[in-house]
Amino acid sequence: MPIKSLIRFFTSLRLTVVLLAFAILLVFIGTLAQVDEGLYNAQARYFRQWLIVGMDLFGHHVPLILPGGYLIGTMLLVNLLAAHIYRFQFSVKKIGIQLTHSGVILLLVGQLATDMLAHESQVRLAEGETKTYAESSQNYELAFTSDSDANTEQVITLPQSLLVPGREIQNPNLPFTLRVKNFWKNSGAAFRAPMVANGPPLTTNGVAANFDFQPQPEVKTMDDKNVPTAEFEIIGPNGSLGDWAVSGWTADDAMVDGLRQDYTRELGPDMARQIVKDLTHPQTVSVNGKTFSFALRPERVYLPFSMTLLKATHTVYQGTDIPKDFRSRVQLQNPRTGENRAVEIYMNSPLRYSGLTFYQYQMTAGEMVEQAGAIPSSVLQVVRNPSWLTPYVGCGLVAVGLVVQFMFHLVGFINKRKTT
Amino acid sequence: MIALAAAAAIAAGCGRDDVKVYQVAKDNSPATPPAPPREAATPPPAMDVAAAPAQSGNALPQFQFSLPPGWQQVPTSQMRVASFVVTNLSGPSADVGIIPLPAGENELALVNMWRDQLQLPPTDHADSVDISVGSDPAKLFEFVSTAPVLDGKFLQRNLVAMQTRGSMSWFFKITGEDAFVTSQKNIFLQFLKSFTFSDSAAAPGLLPTADLTAPGGPAAAVPPADMASSIWTVPASWQSVTPSQFLLAQFLIQGNGAKAEVNVSQLAGEGGGLLANLNRWRRQLGLPPVDQEENFSKMVDTLTIPGGQAQVVDFNGTDAKTGQTARLVGVVLPQNGQTWFYKLMGDPGIVAAQKDTFLKFIQSARYPDAH
Repeated sequence: MPIKSLIRFFTSLRLTVVLLAFAILLVFIGTLAQVDEGLYNAQARYFRQWLIVGMDLFGHHVPLILPGGYLIGTMLLVNLLAAHIYRFQFSVKKIGIQLTHSGVILLLVGQLATDMLAHESQVRLAEGETKTYAESSQNYELAFTSDSDANTEQVITLPQSLLVPGREIQNPNLPFTLRVKNFWKNSGAAFRAPMVANGPPLTTNGVAANFDFQPQPEVKTMDDKNVPTAEFEIIGPNGSLGDWAVSGWTADDAMVDGLRQDYTRELGPDMARQIVKDLTHPQTVSVNGKTFSFALRPERVYLPFSMTLLKATHTVYQGTDIPKDFRSRVQLQNPRTGENRAVEIYMNSPLRYSGLTFYQYQMTAGEMVEQAGAIPSSVLQVVRNPSWLTPYVGCGLVAVGLVVQFMFHLVGFINKRKTT
Repeated sequence: MIALAAAAAIAAGCGRDDVKVYQVAKDNSPATPPAPPREAATPPPAMDVAAAPAQSGNALPQFQFSLPPGWQQVPTSQMRVASFVVTNLSGPSADVGIIPLPAGENELALVNMWRDQLQLPPTDHADSVDISVGSDPAKLFEFVSTAPVLDGKFLQRNLVAMQTRGSMSWFFKITGEDAFVTSQKNIFLQFLKSFTFSDSAAAPGLLPTADLTAPGGPAAAVPPADMASSIWTVPASWQSVTPSQFLLAQFLIQGNGAKAEVNVSQLAGEGGGLLANLNRWRRQLGLPPVDQEENFSKMVDTLTIPGGQAQVVDFNGTDAKTGQTARLVGVVLPQNGQTWFYKLMGDPGIVAAQKDTFLKFIQSARYPDAH
């Protein structure tokens, strides 16, 4: 009978072994693929998939079909649940096994939930600066901003995945159409100093009149970052409003800082300031009396509270360059709860607030920065992971289950020996 | 169960490519505070790789140069057409850059801009020395800070050579720790003399003499042998090779299936002293170290060189890297505030046959003046 066959299949220990073998193979292939594709690409391609059709290893395309991470994980969960339910017999002596199985189930479910729901971003603050949002370290968005009233503005964001060359983008909230001409996942920026770069500009509108943006090979290591650039035409109700270029180089604080440092070294602080001012000057179009400014910026996650960096402290062990303490003193203000308090975030002591965890990630502070007359800054890593407790509870259940099961056997063994 | 999991996956994945619309409070705070000019922690990622070369698509003249020993060409940054790092084993490395800019800038304004970079007060006179870049005249400006502006610990010295060619001015700049840049000054001047322009307007695109965006060195810079031969009389049987990091020159000697190497390096000051370097060489041969009390001077001979003396050591042992029997002849030579280290190491037979040639090679050196 088909149902019996299905039950036999899903409760089979052979299925477990086969799935575990596939898991080992997947981890092996994913590890090798990471060399060429980078960590994030390898994770997305092999582990966050149901099915893998073809893979690239060491520059060769291998036409293979394999179950992806999602399929293996789900099938293991189904297998474990099915076997557990099918063979379930309530017995005090088997409570340990039930607890252990529950722990493993919880681990699998928790990992799936983490993968689906967890999100990481960063908050980059200079001393005295206040922000109400966190930013993605990898993804960018094209943001159009216009005034709603004296105190608020409307923001319309398009994820970079929509910026496909040849695509036309329309949205009811935008009174114009975007015709995407170019999109480079990674790009470089160069100031168009006279006589140094006299090729034609990408476009004569906005930032591209003074800066060249060119495609660069995509970077795949964890230490590097792809900075995208897009070129598009804006078509209003009365016709074209021209071609425009947007780039992460103009609206990503980290990239702007880097360019400022470079130009300061070459041309001095005054010229560097002017060049960066041109780079970050807002680009705008006006349609039907409404002005929209737009920029390609790191994807933002707005927070229901604000954070102000009061003090960034960076100390090293005396006489060495070994970091001793990275500490950010932050003022937390939440208008909804009325909270207004200072908190300290430092190594191994994150802030857990509002379902988010803020870790001390990077810092530019200390003696060297102060001597240079610069403003210290801090970068906090923000993690949202609703299922962060499941590994602890799952492992706890497994540990308790094993101990209970072992104790049953031990006590039984001792009693048996006593009677004999 | 599978269907539920798939539905969860689809639900969680949905919305990631959607356009979002929301209202936010205006940012009424003052303009974002100027960000710090220097990152004490992790630098901005991928700066050098992502930045486009400033010279792309232009009609700049092509140029060639002789890369001095110890200099390493690196990817260019925003304004530069060439960029180098000069390794300093006893302090911060020096940085060399070549930057073309439109001519016509007031010379005094440039001088004061460079002085400002070293936190020096402005001046009303632009002092310079006449030099040559290639076969054409140029001016050399020299600045040294009076405060430890380099990493907060060292005085910084900048040498800037300026040459105007038509409508453009070319700036050649070396910056670094005061004593190290001073020791590199003559090498820098020789580098400038080796610089040649090809003002051919028909040559498009990137300058062909070097792959300036590729890390790891130039594609077509003149090999180091030319620079080595300007300092030493190199024996014909020695094969000059591109020196590895931290070496100024390196030669390979081969014969009868065996080989030996000659390495030349230089450090500022005493370079750690004779004892430390003697023990470093002994470790390379798997020999135990010696200390002051063992009167290590018995192991040291003297070599007379023009203008002074050098100290020579000669050890036999086992190469710690290859496990083969090896002999090492090392020479330590203080010279004008620096210390030069020469090492001949390899197959004992080759070292024995080449020892005299090696010592004559050292005696043939014509050192750049240091201070």
